[in-house]
Amino acid sequence: MTADKEKRRAISREAARRRRRVESDVFGDLSRLLPLQPSVRAHLDKPSVIRLTLSYIRMHTVLKENDGINAGSRHMITYQQAVEGGDEQSGCDGAQDEEEKDTEEFEASQETNMYLGILEGFVMVLSTEGDMIFLSDNVSKYMGLTQTELMGHNIFEYTHPCDHEEIRSNLRLTAEEVWYGEKRDFVMRIKSALTHRGRTANLKSATWKVLHCQGRAKVCVDPSAVSCLLLTCRPLPLSHTLLSRYTFTSQHSMDMRFTYCDQRVTSLLGYRPEELLGRSIYDLCHALDTSCLNKNHLNLCLKNQSVSGQYRMLVKGGGYVWVESHSAVIPSVRPSRSRPGIPQPLCILSVTYVLSGVEQPSLQLSLDQTIHRYLN
Amino acid sequence: VNVTFEQQVDDVLVEEEQSTSVSLPSLMTPPSAAGMSLSVELTRKRKGSVDNQDSKCVSVPDVDMEDDQNRYKDQHVKVKCFREPHSQIEKRRRDKMNNLIDKLSAMIPTCNPMSRKLDKLTVLRMAVQHLKSLKGSASSFSEANYKPSFLPDEELKHLVLKAADGFLFVVGCDRGKIVFVSESVTKILNYSRAELIGQSLFDYIHPKDMGKVKEQLSASELYPRERLIDAKTGLQVQADLPIGAARLCSGARRSFFCRMKYNKISIKVEEKESQGNVLLESQKYCTVHCTGYMRSWPTSQLGAEGEGEVDKQESSHFSCLVAVGRVHNHSSPQVNGEVRVKPTEFITRYAMDGKFTFVDQRATTILGYLPQELLGTSCYEYFHQDDLPHLADRHRKVLRSKEKIETNCYKFKTKYGSFVTLQSQWFSFVNPWTKELEYIVSTNTVISYDPSRAGRSGNKSEQSSNPKASEDCKKSPPIIPGISSTPGTMIYAGSIGTQIANELLDFNRTNSSPSSGNVSPFSLPQDKSPQIHNQISNSVPNGETSDMEIPGKSSSESEPQGAAFSGGETLMENSQLDLESVVGPGLNSLSSDEAAMAVIWSLLETDTNLGEAVDFEEMHWSL
Repeated sequence: MTADKEKRRAISREAARRRRRVESDVFGDLSRLLPLQPSVRAHLDKPSVIRLTLSYIRMHTVLKENDGINAGSRHMITYQQAVEGGDEQSGCDGAQDEEEKDTEEFEASQETNMYLGILEGFVMVLSTEGDMIFLSDNVSKYMGLTQTELMGHNIFEYTHPCDHEEIRSNLRLTAEEVWYGEKRDFVMRIKSALTHRGRTANLKSATWKVLHCQGRAKVCVDPSAVSCLLLTCRPLPLSHTLLSRYTFTSQHSMDMRFTYCDQRVTSLLGYRPEELLGRSIYDLCHALDTSCLNKNHLNLCLKNQSVSGQYRMLVKGGGYVWVESHSAVIPSVRPSRSRPGIPQPLCILSVTYVLSGVEQPSLQLSLDQTIHRYLN
Repeated sequence: VNVTFEQQVDDVLVEEEQSTSVSLPSLMTPPSAAGMSLSVELTRKRKGSVDNQDSKCVSVPDVDMEDDQNRYKDQHVKVKCFREPHSQIEKRRRDKMNNLIDKLSAMIPTCNPMSRKLDKLTVLRMAVQHLKSLKGSASSFSEANYKPSFLPDEELKHLVLKAADGFLFVVGCDRGKIVFVSESVTKILNYSRAELIGQSLFDYIHPKDMGKVKEQLSASELYPRERLIDAKTGLQVQADLPIGAARLCSGARRSFFCRMKYNKISIKVEEKESQGNVLLESQKYCTVHCTGYMRSWPTSQLGAEGEGEVDKQESSHFSCLVAVGRVHNHSSPQVNGEVRVKPTEFITRYAMDGKFTFVDQRATTILGYLPQELLGTSCYEYFHQDDLPHLADRHRKVLRSKEKIETNCYKFKTKYGSFVTLQSQWFSFVNPWTKELEYIVSTNTVISYDPSRAGRSGNKSEQSSNPKASEDCKKSPPIIPGISSTPGTMIYAGSIGTQIANELLDFNRTNSSPSSGNVSPFSLPQDKSPQIHNQISNSVPNGETSDMEIPGKSSSESEPQGAAFSGGETLMENSQLDLESVVGPGLNSLSSDEAAMAVIWSLLETDTNLGEAVDFEEMHWSL
C-alpha cells in the first residue's frame, strides 16, 4: 500500500507545483500592469504586488471624481509657456501633436516635482483605517524608504506609539465631515531611516522625524472604497527665511516664559524685549487662543517641534495682532564636545510671523494692557 | 540664507562643522523613545519568501504592535520573536496573504457581488482583468523615455493642490505681474484664472501687506540684510554671503503670510431693505501662507521679453517667485478641546483670586462695562449677594480640579445697576510644563437679560445661614468698625477671592497635617484639608476675644450648602455680612493692601464712630 501512497504523494506534489507556477504567472501578470520601474518590479514579492495593486485601484477610486478637471488640464499650459507668453494666452485647448503632448507631459512631471519641492514635503493618502494608500515618490527623501516599499502599509507601523491615539482621532470621520472635506492639522512622529547626512540607513537605527500633516477628508465615489484623508506631510522644523520686518524670534524656557526676544518685536507688538522677559506667553495671548497655544506647547514638550496655527497676541496698550509661531526645542547651551553624556538644559526657540496689522488698537482686553496696575 | 533649526547638508550653514548640532533626533530619543527601542529589520536582499529572514528577538512593548500582528509588514520590516516555531511563521505569512486577498476582492467590482468567498487564484485573475480595464481609460504607463510614476503627473499635481488646499502662482519680481496661476485658485479665492493672469499681484493684496510682499519679491540690495540664526544658540549672526547674490539665485526660499482678496459674490439688496444705505461691500480677505522659491531665467532664453517694457540692458534676468499659496483659517483646527463660543457668550480670565485679567470685548454689550473697567477688579464685586456662597464654592472647586466646573445660573451686576443672569463654565488652565495654574478661564453664557431685579447693595440678606445672628452686629461690620456697609461690602467681596486663593497657596505650601485634626470647613470630602490654622490664629479684630472655634467643629451646624459655610461661630454671629459666612474665620487675612485701605477708609469716613469701641490695638493684621 505504501507504493500507492507514494504515488499519490507524488501526484499531489506535482499538482502543488503546478498551482504555484500558475499563481506565480498571475502575479507576474499583475505586476506588469503596475506602473513601476522595471528594476523595482523585478524585486517585488507577492504580498508587495498585492499591496501595490490595492493602492493602484484605490487611487483610481480616489481620483475618479477629478476626471472632469483632468480632461481640461491635460492641455494646461506650462509655466514656462506662461512666462514667455505674458499677456497673450495662447490657445490652451488647441489640438496638440503627439510630440507636444510628450514634452508637455515631461514638463508636467517637472511641474509636479516643483510643487512637491515647494511644499517641502510629500503627499500621503491615508485610509480611515490608517493604510497609506498612496505616497508621492519623494517620500524617500524624508523617510529613507521608497514609495513602493511603503505604499499599502499601515501608518501605525511607522509612527510613534504615543502619537497613535492622536492619529486615530484624526482618522475618525463622520459621513458629513467627509462630504464637506473636513480639514485636518496635526503633528506626528514617523520613523526615518535617514542619517544626518541624508543617506539611507537600516531601519534598525531609525530615528523619529516630526511631521506636520495638513489636509482634508476626501469623498470616495466608489462605495467599495473607504473614505480617506489627503495630507501633505512636511518635516519640522521648517526652514525659515527671515526677512526683517514681519517676523521676530524669541527664546523661552520650557514653560513658555520669554528668556529672550529680538528687537523687532517692538515695532510689531509694542513691547521692548526686556519687558517680555519672564512673562508667560499665555498672558500675552487672547483668551480664545488658550487651547491653541496649549496644544502647541504640548507638541513641543512631547515631540519637540510644533507649528502653532494662528493665534492672537496682545499688543502693548491695546489691541492685538494675528500671528503664527514655528517652534522647536533646542539645547539652551552650546553642546560641548567635552561633555557628551551630560543632558543639556533645553529651551524653546520660536520664529513668529505676524500676519495682520494691529486690530482694534484702542481696545484693552487684558489687565496688562490697562494703565492701572493692581497690586498682587 | 535660511534659518534652520536642524542642519541640512545643502543649506548654507553658519557653522562649518558637520556636527550633530541641534540634532533634534538625538534630543528626541531619550524622552520620547523611553522604552520604545523597537529594533526592526530591513533587508534589501532578495525579497523572496519569509524563510530567508533571520529571526531577531525584539521587545514589543506596545499593545498596538501586538494587535497589528495581522497587518504584518512584508519582509522589509518584520517583528519576530527568536524562538518562534517555523509553523507559526508560516501561519502568519498565510494569514497575511489571505488578508490581502480579501482586501483585494473587496476592491474589485466583479468580485463584490459574489456571495461566496472566491479562491485566491480567481481573485488574482480578476484583479488582472480589472487593472487592464483601468489602464485603458487612464493615460499611458508606457515604458517611455522618462520615468513612469505611480500616478500620472497631472493627477499628482491635483492631488498635491487638493491636499494642500492651495494654488500655485508665479509672479514676476519686478512688477508683481501674475504670470501663472493654477486652476485651483478658483476654489480658494473665487477668482477665475483668466481674471488673474496678467494682473498685478498687488491688486489682490491687502494694503497693509503690500510692503511685506514687496520685500519678499525684492531682489534689490536696498533692503535690509537677511539675518541668520545660529541654530545652536538662537542668536543672530551676520551673514557672510553677499546679499544680492543670495536673493537672486534660484532656489532662494521664501515663506510669508499675506492677506489676499477673496472674491465675494455681491448680493443685490432691495432698496427698501437697505433704507437708502449704500450696500457696503467690505472687502474680504483671507490669510494665505505662501511658500516657494525664486526662479530666475536669463531673458535670452525666453522667446519674448519677460516683462515687455523693461530695457533689455538693465535686466538680463527675469526673476520671479514660484510659490504655493495655502489658505489659513483663523480658527486653529483642533480635534478636541476647543472652546466653543456662541454669540451670547463672552470669555474672561481670572487670576487665582478672582480678579479679572482678561475680558473679551463682547462683554461690553452684555454687561455695559468696557474691559478696562473690569480688569483688575474682583469678580465677587459683581456677583449678587445670594450667589456668593455658591460661586465661592465653585471657585474653590475649580482651583483644585482639572475638570471644567459649571456654575448654576447667577446674577452679575451690570454697569447700570441691573443684573443679568449668567451661567459659566470655569476651568483652571495650567501650564503644561510646570503644571502650575496660569489662570482660570471662564466661558460665560447669557441666560437672561432681565433687568427687573433691582440691584441690592447686599446688606440685608434674609439668609438664615446664621442661626446665631446677633442683632448688634448687624449694623457694623465686625472687622472694620465704623465703616459704612457699602464700601465695606466692596472690600469684603474682593477679599473672598483673595481668601480662596490664599487657601490654596497655603495648602500647597504645607501639606495638610493630620495631627491638627482640623477639618476645614472649606474642604470638600475628597480634598485634603487646607491649612488655615495660621490664619485663624491671627484672630479677629472685632474686639472679641478669640474664642475662635476650630472651624471644623462647627461643621455640624453647617449649611445645607455644605461645609463651606460653617465658619467660626463668633463670626457667624454677624448675619449682616453673609460674606463672612462664606469666607469663614479667615476673613481677616486680607492682603496688606486691603487691610491698609480698610484702615484708611475707617479713619476717613467715620470720625463720628471713632468714639466707639474701636480698639486698633486688638486688630491683628496679617501684614
